[in-house]
Amino acid sequence: MSHTPFIMASYLISAAVLLWAAFAPVVNKHSLDKQLKARQKHMDKKQ
Amino acid sequence: MNRFMLFFHKTGSPPWFYRFAGKLIPWLWVGFAVLTATGLYMGLFLAPPDYQQGESVRIMYLHVPAAWMSMMIYGMMAVMGFIALVWRIRIMEVLTISSAPVGAAFTIIALITGSLWGRPTWGTYWVWDARLTSELVLLFLYIGVIALYNAYDEPRKAARAASLMAIVGAVNLPIIHYSVLWWNTLHQGSSFSASGSSIHPSMLWPLLLMAIAFKFYYGANLLSRARLRLLKQDHRKRWVHELLVQESE
Repeated sequence: MSHTPFIMASYLISAAVLLWAAFAPVVNKHSLDKQLKARQKHMDKKQ
Repeated sequence: MNRFMLFFHKTGSPPWFYRFAGKLIPWLWVGFAVLTATGLYMGLFLAPPDYQQGESVRIMYLHVPAAWMSMMIYGMMAVMGFIALVWRIRIMEVLTISSAPVGAAFTIIALITGSLWGRPTWGTYWVWDARLTSELVLLFLYIGVIALYNAYDEPRKAARAASLMAIVGAVNLPIIHYSVLWWNTLHQGSSFSASGSSIHPSMLWPLLLMAIAFKFYYGANLLSRARLRLLKQDHRKRWVHELLVQESE
């Protein structure tokens, strides 16, 4: 039995999980920044 | 007040923590990248195949450090959760809950890579063995902590409940560790003991490098998540407003 597919799958899946976990806060931060800046603009206009 | 105590007290301030973590994160990512590149090069190209496992031993350079991380992070969560409950330090609450998704990610990696290693070595992807089952229970505990936190609207109440669950769930850690000794399991025992390691240095070094790399990853990811959570919780506070003004300038 060739071990290569099992090794490849292990590394690819691990990379995918680690990348997902690393980028999730970055993506969330971008959307939060947008929301906060939009709210800030709205408040500035009100004043 | 000495410098250490001053530093300790400063970490309790969300604006200070936010800025300090922001400076630390890029260095942690650099450390992770360098150590991972070195560890993977040694593990995939320099280390020899195992005399019994053959080439599939290369999965161990991911599986073992990920399994260690899954337990270490849960242990950290329990300790930080305890501090958060006893001394009501908000940063500790934030760090406890921010650790859970990272710990869950490492547990998923440990379970999947273990399963992919088991197929060519044991002849099966999964057995309801004490070590494998207790590691699966650890994943459910991580999911439970995240779900419990999200079940509350008020973040501090949520963090207290999640901290309590993290502390109670820590009972699973010795079960995972000693499962290979307490029960007759298919999973092999530890290759590390107080007297040293039974692993050849050509395999031991990439394993240790990957273990350290994963700690850098945890640090960087945890701080990124903690910063985000602080921003979300404090979005109506003055320091966030000032930060936004600074960033837009």
